[in-house]
Amino acid sequence: MEDYPEELRTPPLSLVSIVGCPELHPSISAALSSQQPPMNTLALPDFAKASILARSGKARDPLAPPQAPAGILKKDWLLKHRTRVPAAVAALFRADQVSGDPAQWLQACSDLENLKSAIQGNNTKLVVVLVQAQASDELSEDITVALRKRAEIDSKHLVVLVEHDETEWSRSLSKLKNVFVELCSTFYKEEGRRIKARIEKRNFASIELSIRYCYKVAVYAEFRRDWSEALKFYEEGVRVLREMVGTSTRLPPTQRLVEIKAVAEQFHFKISTLLLHAGKVVEAITWFRKHIRSYERVVGTPEVAFLHWEWFSRQFLVFGELIETTSATIPDTLSPRFGTADNALTEWEFQPAYYYQLAATYLREKRYAIECSSSMSNLTTEVNGTPESVMPSVYVGQYVRLFEQGDTVSVLPLSDTEYTSYALSEAERFQDSYEIIALFRKAYESFQSLGATRMASACSGGMAIEYYAAGDFSNAKQLFDGVAGLYRQEGWTTLLWENLGYLRDCSMKLNSPKDFISYSLEMAALPLFSVSREENRESRIKSGPAGSPTISRRENIQQEVLSVLERKQTPEEADDGFYKAMEEATHLDIDQISPLRMVLIASVAFHDQSVKPGSPLLVSVSLLSHLPSPVVVDQLEVQFNQSDCNFVIQSTQEDSQPLDSDFHDQVVQTTTSLTLSTNRWMRLTHEVKSGQSGKLECLSVKVTINKHLVICCHAESPASMEDFPLWKFEDQVETLPTKDNVLAFSGQKLIQVEEPDAQVDLVLNSAGPALVGELFVVPVTILSKGHAIHSGELKINLVDARGGGLLMSPREAEESESHHVELLGVSDVSEDKESMEEVDSIRKIQCSFGVVSVPTLSVGDSWSCKLEIKWHRAKSVMLYVSLGYSLGSSEEEALHRLNVHRSLQIEGQVPLLVSHQFLRPFRREPLLLSGIRSLGGDEKKCCLAMNESNILIVSARNCTEVPLCLHSVTIESDGDGKQLCSAQQISGISNGHAVIAPSEEYKGIFSVNPQALNSNFNLGEIYLKWSRDSSLGEDQATHVIMKHQLPEVSVEEPPLVVSMECPPYATLGTPFTFYVKIQNSTSLLQEIKYSLVDSQNFVFSGAHNHAAFILPKSEHIVSHKLVPLGSGAQQLPRITVTSVRYSAALTPSTSAATIFVYPSEPKFTLETSHSAYDGVLS
Amino acid sequence: MASTACFVIISKNDIPIYEAEVGSAPKKEDLAYQHQFILHAALDVVQDLAWTTNAMFLKSVDRFNDLVVSVYVTAGHILSIFLNPLYLPGSRITSSHFDTKVRALARKYL
Repeated sequence: MEDYPEELRTPPLSLVSIVGCPELHPSISAALSSQQPPMNTLALPDFAKASILARSGKARDPLAPPQAPAGILKKDWLLKHRTRVPAAVAALFRADQVSGDPAQWLQACSDLENLKSAIQGNNTKLVVVLVQAQASDELSEDITVALRKRAEIDSKHLVVLVEHDETEWSRSLSKLKNVFVELCSTFYKEEGRRIKARIEKRNFASIELSIRYCYKVAVYAEFRRDWSEALKFYEEGVRVLREMVGTSTRLPPTQRLVEIKAVAEQFHFKISTLLLHAGKVVEAITWFRKHIRSYERVVGTPEVAFLHWEWFSRQFLVFGELIETTSATIPDTLSPRFGTADNALTEWEFQPAYYYQLAATYLREKRYAIECSSSMSNLTTEVNGTPESVMPSVYVGQYVRLFEQGDTVSVLPLSDTEYTSYALSEAERFQDSYEIIALFRKAYESFQSLGATRMASACSGGMAIEYYAAGDFSNAKQLFDGVAGLYRQEGWTTLLWENLGYLRDCSMKLNSPKDFISYSLEMAALPLFSVSREENRESRIKSGPAGSPTISRRENIQQEVLSVLERKQTPEEADDGFYKAMEEATHLDIDQISPLRMVLIASVAFHDQSVKPGSPLLVSVSLLSHLPSPVVVDQLEVQFNQSDCNFVIQSTQEDSQPLDSDFHDQVVQTTTSLTLSTNRWMRLTHEVKSGQSGKLECLSVKVTINKHLVICCHAESPASMEDFPLWKFEDQVETLPTKDNVLAFSGQKLIQVEEPDAQVDLVLNSAGPALVGELFVVPVTILSKGHAIHSGELKINLVDARGGGLLMSPREAEESESHHVELLGVSDVSEDKESMEEVDSIRKIQCSFGVVSVPTLSVGDSWSCKLEIKWHRAKSVMLYVSLGYSLGSSEEEALHRLNVHRSLQIEGQVPLLVSHQFLRPFRREPLLLSGIRSLGGDEKKCCLAMNESNILIVSARNCTEVPLCLHSVTIESDGDGKQLCSAQQISGISNGHAVIAPSEEYKGIFSVNPQALNSNFNLGEIYLKWSRDSSLGEDQATHVIMKHQLPEVSVEEPPLVVSMECPPYATLGTPFTFYVKIQNSTSLLQEIKYSLVDSQNFVFSGAHNHAAFILPKSEHIVSHKLVPLGSGAQQLPRITVTSVRYSAALTPSTSAATIFVYPSEPKFTLETSHSAYDGVLS
Repeated sequence: MASTACFVIISKNDIPIYEAEVGSAPKKEDLAYQHQFILHAALDVVQDLAWTTNAMFLKSVDRFNDLVVSVYVTAGHILSIFLNPLYLPGSRITSSHFDTKVRALARKYL
């Protein structure tokens, strides 16, 4: 756009001229140009200069036949009208000049005449301005009239300017401005109308004039700011112009086309500018599209095709710039409908970048055309040479030759051949590449900012190709690399192929054999659409250096790599520098994201998941290549993270001398041939010896091909191997890297080498289940069988066997630190006291965890300790003991620690199940009222009668499988309890302790005699002191005290106590007396009723039912005489005593109402029987 | 007017899965890959438009001088039109039968 002349780029402004009074000119010009719309002023200092306003054109002979015009548009016409042909001329006179001296008056008149004659025929309007110093200066009417008559103007075209009065000056100046505006408008309207009349009457000799007239009318309309009319005539002109392409014969065809296009360009530019400035973006774009469509095929002859492409490219560039400068925005109504049928415009067409991109594309087209033309013209124009002194003619788009003959200079038309060679030589002087790159870059940046990465990369690719063409290979390579990345990612292989072709060539030119090889290999391994491409390939394609994407081309490329490696000259133009840059061996690294993964991928899988150190293990190395031809591998080097395991496989089929000698300490295996065929896994299984314990991982597989190419593939596990993005969906048989299917999907490239077997025995012993409360001892013995133990450490851990980890209940954990099972300590049995102290320093024991260090032991030694564990609850516990040690004391050896683990499940058991039972005294029933009242019985509180001896039976059952010694059973009550209640042991443990065999029960009997009333009386706890049976050799210290809480009881005073008295036994047939004593301990009279139920084994005398009154604090005795009728344990007649006051009945228990009846009088010593009898009764 | 057309089916992840150069025009002495370049670049617009409009057929989403890019977006933006249970989404269409059909249709309408 910058190349266009100024007058074309800006809207035309009206032009007026002022003559005379030069001192006033600056202020008048400034006033006019500051107006809206502004006006340009052509200021002439004096009247002598007025002649330049005269028509310069030679007077045409009106009688001569109309001559065909030599061109369509004159180049300077617009400039002339903008700068030299004023619409109005103002003649400035000072008032004193015309009013005073007659000589001055005459001079003024003659000046006016001159001016009139100068503008004659131009239709230029005349204004006369009189300049007064003061508004008060009176001008005589005569003078003004005379002056008007002289000038032949209306009175309103005579303006008086007042110079020295500020307000008057501006007022009169604005009047002058108005006059000018009016006159300009008239002038341009008249001029336009004049020309328009010619068009309407079709009063023109040739089509060129028609176009010219359209142009002029449009320009005049622009002067008037009548944009719609201007647009209309410009469009009309374009239409006529387009028709001219096929019809005009005025010029030779090439130059004719050039002229037409140049004119069309101007018209188009004007139209676009007008549309865009009016905000009609859609119309402008539609117009541009039409313009392009009507000219895109008007290429002309092939020799001058470059002119067309240059012109074509410029159209896009200029339109793009126009859109950018007017900052056209997409109308809101349009944007959601892009791409749909009712909107023909695309989104990009609103973006300048789109036009820049196309401009660059066509400029590139021009470059190609020039290359063609140059090669053609080199042959032809060498004889003729380029014509000299060719210059643009006065007409737009025309060129002529200056011809000097002596002093006369004439212009001669050019022949097409001359013009072509001139244009070609001109065009060759320019470096289009930079222009193209700049355009692409502009488009690239713009698209990038719009987020259109693909468009951007298309531009970037364009830049790269241009750099490539210009020989700037490093820039080209960089850009191509970027673009190739996108195509790789999106899988557009054909485009990628094309790109790689350039890259390959660039790296060749840049003497970078490594890149060359890697790009070539990638190309060779690309999957390609080979569908029905072949038949079209014969036609010569002006494609990139890649060639056509076919299998055979891929094979060729692979072959070329091999030739390059072998230093054979390739058919390509590789120079010496390229080979010099080659190293002895080219190294390529292929990792998991490298595009060269297609070329070679190494999958490594160990057959096992773990292995013992030093034992052999199998590893499968599989290689896959997508290269089209088979690849012969010379040598395969598999590298592990433990370099001792590395191994090398060499192929021996070659004239084999070993490649390198630096494998002296590695396993070298030779095989007959290692050939990788296309798309098929080459599987090798090798046996390696596992190294040190820890992780053994395969790092890489180095493949040497052709002795000079070393490809280092990162090893991949089959389990985590990713697909090839490009080859993923190719039509090929999928094979697995290993024969074993399981290995192919789950194989790993790393293996765990286990620790060597520990040659130390760790023995845990336990004497059966542990008993709650005791200090349970677990002896641990460490016995070294083959390893010396250095810096050994014993870790002890107690874990709940049912899971859950911690050995305490959550509730308890909150309350206290108490554990259900606690590790109390580790007692050393070593006799060496000093070492024990040393050991103590690193002994750490917590409730369920302990660490104990083990002294250094040499082979064959043993060490033992005892773990002391206490169970608070019956729980099953896992005891884990692990011994960690190292084989030596040196630092290196200390790193390698061996571990021995043992575990033991230990049950915790409650040793004794303690229960208790309260009994009333035998045949003595106190009436306990609370027992009657609380019938609901929600709290089963035991009731004891006050001042009665209640019997408490404590039974302890041995729940374990070992016999236990019970040393004592006592009832310990708290301070108050002791005074208020006496608990006496009736039967106890004789001679120190009682041995309770498993599942046996021991019973202790206590008599409890509470002496105070208390509804919540705490009897205290039962203390059982027990130990394991002493026959096992335990000492006394291990007595364990076990507590059993007795429930609270309620102590009450019974109002009535019923006691039965009868002999301890009876004899069949012998009568005995059965007393029932009812004691009233209250101070009230108590009425009682009693009834006796018949028993079939007894006959008795006395009342069955009776009632009695018992006086306070006295006793009532009911007696019956009974005769037993049957022997054995017999039920006495059942007596029920009912207290009327308390509505309570008392029935003695069945056991109390039982008596043993002997068939005859027994014979036994009374002493023992008495003592036993006493024991039971008291 | 002799015309040429490039027909490409593109899978959801922007990978071309089928391509065919159809049409009656003799091969222009043109960059062989220009069509693909244009189509690839047009994906930018398609990507944006496919979400903003519910029209399935986009007549002209992009143009490169006389080449117009038209797009048919399938529902769900994936090629579910293949009623082939063995079809693996994203794999290339290699059926020669399909290819023949496409070419026959092209001959008929171009």
